Amino acid sequence: MSNENVLLSIKDLHASVEEKNIIKGLNLDIKPGEVHAIMGPNGAGKSTMGYVLSGRDGYTVDSGSASLAGEDLLDMDVEDRARAGLFLAFQYPVEIPGVSNLEFLKVSVDAQREARGEESLTSAEFLKVAKEACKQVNLPVSFLKRGVNEGFSGGEKKRNEIMQMILLKPKLCILDETDSGLDIDAMQVVANGVNSQRSSERSFIVVTHYQRLLDYIKPDFVHVLADGKIVKSGDASLAKELEEQGYAWLQTEPKEDELED
Amino acid sequence: MSEWLQQAIAHADSIQDGFAEQRSASLALLKDTKWPNRKTEAWKYTPLRAVERSSAVIKEDSPELMPQSVLGADFLELTFVDGQLVALPDELPDGLTITMQESSIFATIKPERHLFGLVNDVLASDIVIVTVAEGVQVEQPIRINNLLSSGAQAHIRTVVELKPKSSLAVVETSEAHGNTLATAFTEYLVGAEAKLEHYRFALQTDDNVAVGGSHFKLLEKAVLNSSIIGFGSQLQRIDTDIIHAGEKADAKLNAIYLLDGQELFDLHATVEHEVPNCTTEENIRGIAADRSRAVFNGRIHIHRDAQKTLAELNNRNLLLSDKAEINTKPELEIYADDVRCAHGATIAEIDKKALYYLQTRGVSKSQAQLMLSFGFINELIDQMPNAELAEWVRPIIRDRFAQMEVK
Repeated sequence: MSNENVLLSIKDLHASVEEKNIIKGLNLDIKPGEVHAIMGPNGAGKSTMGYVLSGRDGYTVDSGSASLAGEDLLDMDVEDRARAGLFLAFQYPVEIPGVSNLEFLKVSVDAQREARGEESLTSAEFLKVAKEACKQVNLPVSFLKRGVNEGFSGGEKKRNEIMQMILLKPKLCILDETDSGLDIDAMQVVANGVNSQRSSERSFIVVTHYQRLLDYIKPDFVHVLADGKIVKSGDASLAKELEEQGYAWLQTEPKEDELED
Repeated sequence: MSEWLQQAIAHADSIQDGFAEQRSASLALLKDTKWPNRKTEAWKYTPLRAVERSSAVIKEDSPELMPQSVLGADFLELTFVDGQLVALPDELPDGLTITMQESSIFATIKPERHLFGLVNDVLASDIVIVTVAEGVQVEQPIRINNLLSSGAQAHIRTVVELKPKSSLAVVETSEAHGNTLATAFTEYLVGAEAKLEHYRFALQTDDNVAVGGSHFKLLEKAVLNSSIIGFGSQLQRIDTDIIHAGEKADAKLNAIYLLDGQELFDLHATVEHEVPNCTTEENIRGIAADRSRAVFNGRIHIHRDAQKTLAELNNRNLLLSDKAEINTKPELEIYADDVRCAHGATIAEIDKKALYYLQTRGVSKSQAQLMLSFGFINELIDQMPNAELAEWVRPIIRDRFAQMEVK
């Protein structure tokens, strides 16, 4: 595999939170257009991986590298990683009362357009695309006027994440347990949103605990993350196997829950 | 007694109207009141030099001034220019009366401890009495405009009574140009099961000196929703008193202050829970930039009989510069044993999780900080029940906020 064909390249990544090692030698290469599922038990480092790649405060990289489209990710500020094409759909999206969803979306899209050297959209143009995106994830247009995630249900928050993904058109999307707390209908909406964005240019990391989501978002590869590294990789059938066997075969010691907030 | 006060009350005798009795009682009290100094608790952080040095005078002739219009809003306008009532609505909806006759409520709701309230009792020349009849829902908000031309000193007073089961919205607003001094006081009696929506906008800045208050007495099951928005000026002081005098009354007070330059803004909010089963929720938020100074004193006094009171007071502040100052003091005084009360005052930092979230969408850190700071204020604007007023004031606040610098 030549390096030019790789969108995301993670090499022997070690990272810690509050001086506790969580990621312990992670290797992962993702080519444009691929969908990789990351599964694994609680505390394996699944969410931490997303936070480390996106540059969250308090998540320290101890060694190793990660690059996106050939650029060193780990050297960039959080916003620059986003502008370089990284998108993290949060497991627990943050509520920001007082900042309207529409304003938040427009500022985000403007920032990324500017980074790409494109002109910003007028308010009217943006409203049109935002309404369209609302429809795509089945959120009433009135949600644009509300505070960011303010008073949204769990499912509405997840749909709002997917809407942001649709508007921001990232190169690599990390979906962090996007299925958690969703019923089948809501999951289908989310999966349809994701599938509508699949293209030969865009890659996905689908972090999930359960195989269920992968019935709707078909992965090209499935990896098992345990104790901070990938211990097994395969195709979509691996997810089925895991569903039947659970993670007991990993024989890892029980871990503390991941640090979420 | 200060020279300013002596000169001010020398004017008192010139006013002849139906309020003579109350005025002379207030005058007697005023003559016994000590002029505040640094040791006077209520004025500890707010020196009165600006009043003492003010050259603003009560004018005989004033220019024509018109209040700002608010897009989409249609108010019943009560307009004072330099303290003189110049405009009343031509037509009033059924059940709403506005008079300038005597009132048994005048000077009974506003507590006597407010020095400038006594000054206002004595000097407000055109006292306006607004009454909503029992069961009448007035759709059109009343706006009380206190307009001041340069050099003017003005004292305006309005008394509002909502009879049982009525409802009304009142907007108190002031506009001042140049060197001015005003006392604007309003008293509200909210009858049983009546609903009052109240706004007080104090957006005048610079050389304006303003000391005023909005005072409320709530009877059984009365509902008050009040929003106060202030910018600082040479001296901007607002006292508000909410008196729960009837059971199951409910009061909500949201206040915002945004200060820049060397401005001073002082809000003293006092809530008296005199009877059981009443609720109070206060959310006070402010941002101070440059060398400005904010003072907030929030007192909740729960009397011995006021069991089952629910009261919350929350004051959050953002400081944008090292030289800005915020003096905040929540005070809970509780004499009943079965109540739920909470209070807190913080000099807030930006929410790190929210900052990270915005950054992961490509928003720069500095812009994200600005958005969150404005959002902190905007959250209370979002809660204003009157959408036209919210849409009117939001860009005014946004513009001011945009000019404030982080230092």
